[in-house]
Amino acid sequence: MKKLYEYSATELAAMLRAKEVSASEIAEASLGRIAAVEDQVDAYLTVTAGEARAAAKRVDEKLAAGEEIAPLAGIPIAIKDNICTKGIKTTCASRMLENFVPPYDATVMEKLNAQDIVVTGKVNMDEFAMGGSCENSYFKKTKNPWDTERVPGGSSGGSAAAVAACEVPLALGSDTGGSVRCPASFCGIVGLKPTYGAVSRYGLVAFASSLDQIGPFGRTVDDVSLLYGAICGRDVRDATSRETSLGKVEGSVKGLRLGIPKEYFGEGISAEVKASVYAAAEQLRALGAEIVEISLPSTDYALAAYYIISSAEASSNLARYDGVKYGFSGSREGTLNDLYLSTRSQGFGAEVKRRIMLGTYVLSSGYYDAYYKRAKLLQNVIAKEFADAFAKCDAILTPVNPTTAFRLGEKCDDPVQMYASDVCTVTVNIAGLPGISFPCGSDSAGMPIGMQVIGPKFSETRLLSIAKCYETAVGGFAVKEM
Amino acid sequence: MNNNFETVIGLEVHAELNTKTKIFCSCENRFGAEVNTLCCPVCMGLPGTLPVLNQQVVESAVKMGHALNCKINGVTKQDRKNYFYPDLPKAYQISQFDVPLCEHGYLDILVGDDVRRIGVTRIHIEEDAGKLIHDDSFDGTLCDYNRCGVPLIEIVSEPDLRSAEEAKAYLETITTILLYLGISDAKMQEGSVRCDVNVSVRPKGAAEFGTRCEMKNVNSFGAVYRAIVYESERQMEVLASGGTIQQETRRWDDAKNKSIVMRSKEDAQDYRYFPDPDLLTFVVSDEKIAALKASLPELPTAKTLRYVKEFGLQKIDAQLLSVNKARADFFDSCVALGRCEAKTVANWVLGDIAKLLNEQRVEITDTALTPEHLVGMIELINKGTISNTAAKTVLEEIMAKDVEPEEVVKEKGLAQISDASALAGIVDKVLADNPKAVADYKKGKTNVAGFLVGQCMRASRGQGNPATLRDMVIEAIEKL
Amino acid sequence: MEIDVRHIAKLAKLDIPEQEIPKMEQELSSIVNMVEKLPELTSKESLLDPENTMELRPDVVQPSFPRDEMLKNAPETAAGCLMVPKVVE
Repeated sequence: MKKLYEYSATELAAMLRAKEVSASEIAEASLGRIAAVEDQVDAYLTVTAGEARAAAKRVDEKLAAGEEIAPLAGIPIAIKDNICTKGIKTTCASRMLENFVPPYDATVMEKLNAQDIVVTGKVNMDEFAMGGSCENSYFKKTKNPWDTERVPGGSSGGSAAAVAACEVPLALGSDTGGSVRCPASFCGIVGLKPTYGAVSRYGLVAFASSLDQIGPFGRTVDDVSLLYGAICGRDVRDATSRETSLGKVEGSVKGLRLGIPKEYFGEGISAEVKASVYAAAEQLRALGAEIVEISLPSTDYALAAYYIISSAEASSNLARYDGVKYGFSGSREGTLNDLYLSTRSQGFGAEVKRRIMLGTYVLSSGYYDAYYKRAKLLQNVIAKEFADAFAKCDAILTPVNPTTAFRLGEKCDDPVQMYASDVCTVTVNIAGLPGISFPCGSDSAGMPIGMQVIGPKFSETRLLSIAKCYETAVGGFAVKEM
Repeated sequence: MNNNFETVIGLEVHAELNTKTKIFCSCENRFGAEVNTLCCPVCMGLPGTLPVLNQQVVESAVKMGHALNCKINGVTKQDRKNYFYPDLPKAYQISQFDVPLCEHGYLDILVGDDVRRIGVTRIHIEEDAGKLIHDDSFDGTLCDYNRCGVPLIEIVSEPDLRSAEEAKAYLETITTILLYLGISDAKMQEGSVRCDVNVSVRPKGAAEFGTRCEMKNVNSFGAVYRAIVYESERQMEVLASGGTIQQETRRWDDAKNKSIVMRSKEDAQDYRYFPDPDLLTFVVSDEKIAALKASLPELPTAKTLRYVKEFGLQKIDAQLLSVNKARADFFDSCVALGRCEAKTVANWVLGDIAKLLNEQRVEITDTALTPEHLVGMIELINKGTISNTAAKTVLEEIMAKDVEPEEVVKEKGLAQISDASALAGIVDKVLADNPKAVADYKKGKTNVAGFLVGQCMRASRGQGNPATLRDMVIEAIEKL
Repeated sequence: MEIDVRHIAKLAKLDIPEQEIPKMEQELSSIVNMVEKLPELTSKESLLDPENTMELRPDVVQPSFPRDEMLKNAPETAAGCLMVPKVVE
């Protein structure tokens, strides 16, 4: 029999309204599942059982009083630990913010709390969202539920693993260069990176402000749609946000032209991944789409542009961690400069320091034009190429990652090799576009393979519709037994 | 002062704007609140927070740009200036780098009898930093973040100023304009206007500029003057003795009347400016720019020159009037009534009214005085109804409460007596009481008449018509 | 590509131990080398994007946060202020 924790958010919402289950039962099922599998998965940094039970009780009281409840009322959700939650520790998986308790809620949290969503806790990530494996956390290494010897992907590895392990039906992550799509793909679930500006960044601890977006995870496309619809739209506290809303997700590809860019199927991409994505494209053709070949020649440069822009912004965004106002504070015995040096040298991990150094370098006197400005100009070229491509097709199909989930520790030593795994995802952030990742098969080891669909700005409804069409055709996505 | 050298000065003036809220958050923008009570996650730079630019800051800065004849860049952006300091919670200041909101302007200032045109390089908007409190009773430095995010405009002049006098006049004119536009409290003593001074010297007639030094912490008009005098003399001495000037940043210590080195050129900071990714390009429309220009009042230098030209005022008087917008507005309203001489109004505003305002430490708008009442009072003098002496009493009354001058005259019995028969007794008594003065007059010292008339005025409690009394005194002595 | 790691570390307020400097230099170089492959793009224009602009905020006051809330994460406070090692004015 299907366990309560295995149900999707959409199903649970219907069951709640039909009084087949109470919100408290749903919450207990989720907390029970966390207790049962967390020692294998290690997704959570903070479990907020008390808050979760209280939120569920409020929903049950509303239902008992015959009040209307919001679409996400009573649904358990895990929140990436770089999204500020008032009164609940928000660490960014960094020693620097080990004890930081925000006095305010991120806008997405305000929106979700207003719906009486049930937050089960804060989940693991690469420190300050810098990484693609979740191994850069100061606190713990999250494991892939499909094979706990392997990484869940990153940086939102905790979010993806929690959903894939059925600890929660929904999670929020953030995506700067692939941090939602990569772990969604590695963990065999659905993840959406919205258009830049579609979801408010207010309360998302910044990594690279011009690239960061909060995005939803779920095991079904309907669940991801439900969560995206609840968090999108303009926020007066985020000057880069835009008004937008989710349309009806039809679940059809009839008449859509889907582009295949040859640059995304080069030699770095594993044969199994290529084969799966091509097969999925073939299936979409069978479902009524037209497949067209396109070219995005600047793709090769995107990775370099991405690392310059993101590191430059990060070096500035992370300068505020100085041991004065909040967070880890180093030695107060010496001078102010000693405090700065000891705080930042002990508070940040190796990868964060490497990016701060890189970002500081590319902005420093004499190098701005050669690196930062050049990368920003290249960003325009890449965005223009996508815009031209969307004159020829309605959406673009690519792999998410060059390979499936790799083993823990496998790529830790070589930053450039690690960075190269972002090659298919960073272009989307560079161009400010929406991208969705959903499962399209598995490799010989049984590890999930993800497919990415990229659309023009604010085409989330279309992307979700394409994903839903595929999901329906394959009879739903597999869930890993644990 | 060494006469073979010329001093070259440029000023960077920081003025806090008096918007209701801070530049990037909705915290109140107010001076003097208890420490750290005007703060929120945004201005404290908490993780996850974002800045949202205040519309009014942009409008105020554009007004200043117009006032200083600048080109307004209607499409612009904000940049981050990165450096670590405990008064800067984000470790970067949001400012403007390569596209300032306003640039390529100038300001005409009056120095003595000359009008000098000083180039204005740029005006940009930025956020203020917090305040550090150095107090020996604590084992550390304290940080108050109330001032974090207070909007600033930075006005950078060209190196067009040539003396401490000019620099002082420039700074005074800037603060007057800020008050005219109503965009800043412009109080140097509260730190709402602050000034960095760049000074270099060069041999007279040289085409190249000398090496400049920047002086920080120059925070009063007097200090600007003193700092420039000190620094230019220091540099001239170095050069005169065969030395060279090192480019450096110096701190002005006004109490000790000297500057000390803060950092040399080698320690120059690398601010790593780049466009703030949290704030997109923003646009001020051509219509808005034009509307803000149309909203500008007449500015002080133009006013001064008009007063001289139109009303024949002395330049110094015209300048004294223009420097205070409230008084200049009051003067303009009086003159607009068209019932008396502008010069007479100016004399009253700069004389007795200014004296009373200074004594009471208030501004003209804080009193009950209206242009109608002042002009009414002047008319009573002109008609001979009251004397100048009595008018001073009337003035005190009409400044204190909203009452017609005629009523004061009636109530206090201040009407001037010109009827000789009513004054005869007074004249007789004064002459009888002052036989020596009368004798002196008879010996030809006719200037004692003034003294005797004064005695008569006093005896009449100011009500006697001084001209009538004078005639009567002289006539009576000659009859003796 | 020579990278002055010590100078960059000073700007970034990071203490890179002497023995780690060669490794850091090598890592930074390998990333920067990716950039060397970028096409030459130059522009005298500043980075403005008039196609993608932001709205400004009305000048309306909202309450500030209670001081205790703002200071509760601070490592060291005194007299309602944050405290840092003595700074010479």
